[in-house]
Amino acid sequence: MYLFMRHCYAALLVLLLASGVEAATPTLTVYTYDSFTSDWGPGPKVKQAFEAQCDCKLELVGLEDGVSMLNRLKLEGNNTRADLVLGIDTNLTAEARATGLFEPHGLKMESSSLPQPWDDKVFLPYDYGYFAFVYNREQLKNPPTSLRQLIEDENGPTILVQDPRTSTPGLGLLLWVKKVYGDRSDEAWAKLSPRIITVSKGWSEAYGLFLKNEADMVLSYTTSPAYHIIAEQDQRFAAARFSEGHYQQIEVAGMVRGRQQKNLAREFLQFMLSDRFQRIIPTTNWMYPAALEQASLPQEFAQLIDPSPALLFDDKLVAQQRKKWVDEWLEVMSR
Amino acid sequence: MKPRVIPAALVLGLLAFIVVAPLAGLLNLGAMPGFESGDLRFWQSAYMRRVLVFSLWQALLSTLCSVLPAILVARAFALQPAFPLRGFLLRLFALPLVVPAVVAVMGVVSVYGSDGWIPFGRSLYGLGGILLAHVFFNLPLAIRLLLPHWQAIPRRHWQLAEQLDMNAWHRWRFLEWPALREGLPGVMLLVFMLCLTSFAVVLTLGGGPRSTTLEVAIYQSLRFDFDPIRAVVLALLQLGLCILVASLTLKLQRLPEVEITVDTSDRTTGPRLRPLQLLLILLAAVYVAMPLLSMLLDALAGPLLKVITRAALWHSVANTLFIGLAAALLSVGAGWFLLRYSAGLALAGQPGRARLIELAGSIVYVVPPLVIGTGMFVLLSPHVDVFSWVYPIVIAVNALMGLPFVIRTLGPALRQNHARYHLLCQSLALTGWHRFRYLEWPLLRRPLGLAMALVAALAMGDLGVIALFGTPNTATVTLLIYQQLGAYLIPDATVTALLLLMLCLTVFWLLERGIGGRLDA
Repeated sequence: MYLFMRHCYAALLVLLLASGVEAATPTLTVYTYDSFTSDWGPGPKVKQAFEAQCDCKLELVGLEDGVSMLNRLKLEGNNTRADLVLGIDTNLTAEARATGLFEPHGLKMESSSLPQPWDDKVFLPYDYGYFAFVYNREQLKNPPTSLRQLIEDENGPTILVQDPRTSTPGLGLLLWVKKVYGDRSDEAWAKLSPRIITVSKGWSEAYGLFLKNEADMVLSYTTSPAYHIIAEQDQRFAAARFSEGHYQQIEVAGMVRGRQQKNLAREFLQFMLSDRFQRIIPTTNWMYPAALEQASLPQEFAQLIDPSPALLFDDKLVAQQRKKWVDEWLEVMSR
Repeated sequence: MKPRVIPAALVLGLLAFIVVAPLAGLLNLGAMPGFESGDLRFWQSAYMRRVLVFSLWQALLSTLCSVLPAILVARAFALQPAFPLRGFLLRLFALPLVVPAVVAVMGVVSVYGSDGWIPFGRSLYGLGGILLAHVFFNLPLAIRLLLPHWQAIPRRHWQLAEQLDMNAWHRWRFLEWPALREGLPGVMLLVFMLCLTSFAVVLTLGGGPRSTTLEVAIYQSLRFDFDPIRAVVLALLQLGLCILVASLTLKLQRLPEVEITVDTSDRTTGPRLRPLQLLLILLAAVYVAMPLLSMLLDALAGPLLKVITRAALWHSVANTLFIGLAAALLSVGAGWFLLRYSAGLALAGQPGRARLIELAGSIVYVVPPLVIGTGMFVLLSPHVDVFSWVYPIVIAVNALMGLPFVIRTLGPALRQNHARYHLLCQSLALTGWHRFRYLEWPLLRRPLGLAMALVAALAMGDLGVIALFGTPNTATVTLLIYQQLGAYLIPDATVTALLLLMLCLTVFWLLERGIGGRLDA
């Protein structure tokens, strides 16, 4: 009981303090995903660095993922507390723009390290990555060298993937197959289906099962092996390079329309593209920073595969077709 | 003799409010411009028909596979009142309930996966894996919920059976089955609801979208399609299905006659030690313990020190304890008034209405927390700062989700107690606090303790709506586990999961023992 009372008092104290601080210094509220705000994510470092330069308070609100953030904004409409949203990806930007809840950032992307030019007036990218199938080098000696080989070789490796209805990588694979197979995607899925061990709700379940050796390969990112190399000094894991190229995911941030802290939000976006922020990304978010020269990446990143060419659908096309393509996928996979 | 209606009406009203208001809020939102509703004629879609059939089929199979063996094992526990580790095993059986689904999936895979102790190979992914996991969750729960029904058989009946030289079959037929019939349908219904709404287990171990349940479809329409109307319609469909199943199941229910006795000793004196019964208990214990043990081994190999020295962990432990205990208190409080009213109705010769009240309390469980949470958000966000409402909302939703457990654990005992002593209380003018203090507390503290412990543990293991609201600093241990899993920190997550289990076990033990007294009969 004592513990709770103390906990309650502490909460009360924090509230009081917070309201006190709010009056004195401006607060910038950012909606993001909770792996960004977690202890080991970029959040704490970003907060510290930004607060040191802005004379403000940065409040990071962790939601489940990009989809939750967008839904949350739609629900709140004009009552939202968010000044900025960070963590929507290119599969959602068209939908997000269509809500009319965002306003142009008015900034120029000067030092982009993206493989393609960036001219979005509403969203600015902070990192990007490529989907890939990750495997254990000791277990799988001859990984497929193309998506076609993975799909069409009946005796190929078994895989774990995520559900496009619930997970970003899952949707990524759906689009990847669409990019390579076009109208014949359903046949491709039918061919691949017998070697899919399971389709999980999110990335964590599939990756966890993979580490428990339930399948030869798992759908993840080309940067996943970097985690094992840097954080665990484990060289066993690698991503298979596919000759068609790898489907890309770009994560972006955008300013919420009609908020008071416009200048502060813009300052944050500028900070987001600065070296300070960008250098935090590789070993906390395990993605490629969107505005950092190659030479500044951790040296271990040099061991990762070259995923070019980057495959990416126009965001408007994804917004238009997503539901139809997911239904198509469901139809094949439920057979 | 009119049962006291006001507190129960309040509870029912609140219940209706917590469920109906958010649904209405969502419907209202969906009707606003900017929201397009998808095709609602889902019975015309082959996909939705498959989803419906599969949801019901897997839930039915899971229920049968969990409850039927549970009857045998609970009986064995009841007839073997003294053997080493009995109390420990019973407490162990409360644990699976609190294991976060994704952690349990990992545990199940550690045991039955391709590198596991009992490798099932690929057949793990499909209906087989779903059943394995659901039985792991629900067999022990059903055992815990069924066991008290044996303990409610008066000792004199056993003595009589012995004098009449009844064989095992006759004892079952005339003593045990009638005692069981009050609780069994409710337990089956509860397990059915748990399996029907199961989500991560079904998706991950189901092998693919072939194993899609209605719960997944609701999640999809509320998240990916953001189609509130469709989500509400599907949630109502799920509710309707459950009411249908409930009305079928509860047809089986018979409320046993309650004798007016003062037989307070409920220690069963069944037949002597039987190796077969001990074997049954052993098998159930091994089945439940294996995934837990594999989690324990994984965790012990993990970065123990690193995890427990993080401040964030202890912060989330405090949050988790607060939410769990508050939800348990609220849930048991609400359940108490509801059950008192229902017991009064049953005594007044209206068992049908009594059953309806209990059903209303249980059935709301199947309205997905995501739907309730989102609906509440829609209602609250224009008026208040939702961030400061996170605790009340999370506690209320968890209390709501705990209500069916309270009704199952406390209901039968409270009804019998009411039937035995209500008239006596009236003639002695024993009411209110005094009645609780001197009559109900001593006689009902054991089911009260179990109910509190179950709901607290359940709320502590729940991911629920807290992930939905997301505030700057309201992490629970379960949320922390999911965050670690989502950031390659799988070894850390297994350690955190072990800590959560130990925390739940401790709270469970303290509540059950502190409130319920010694667990020896």
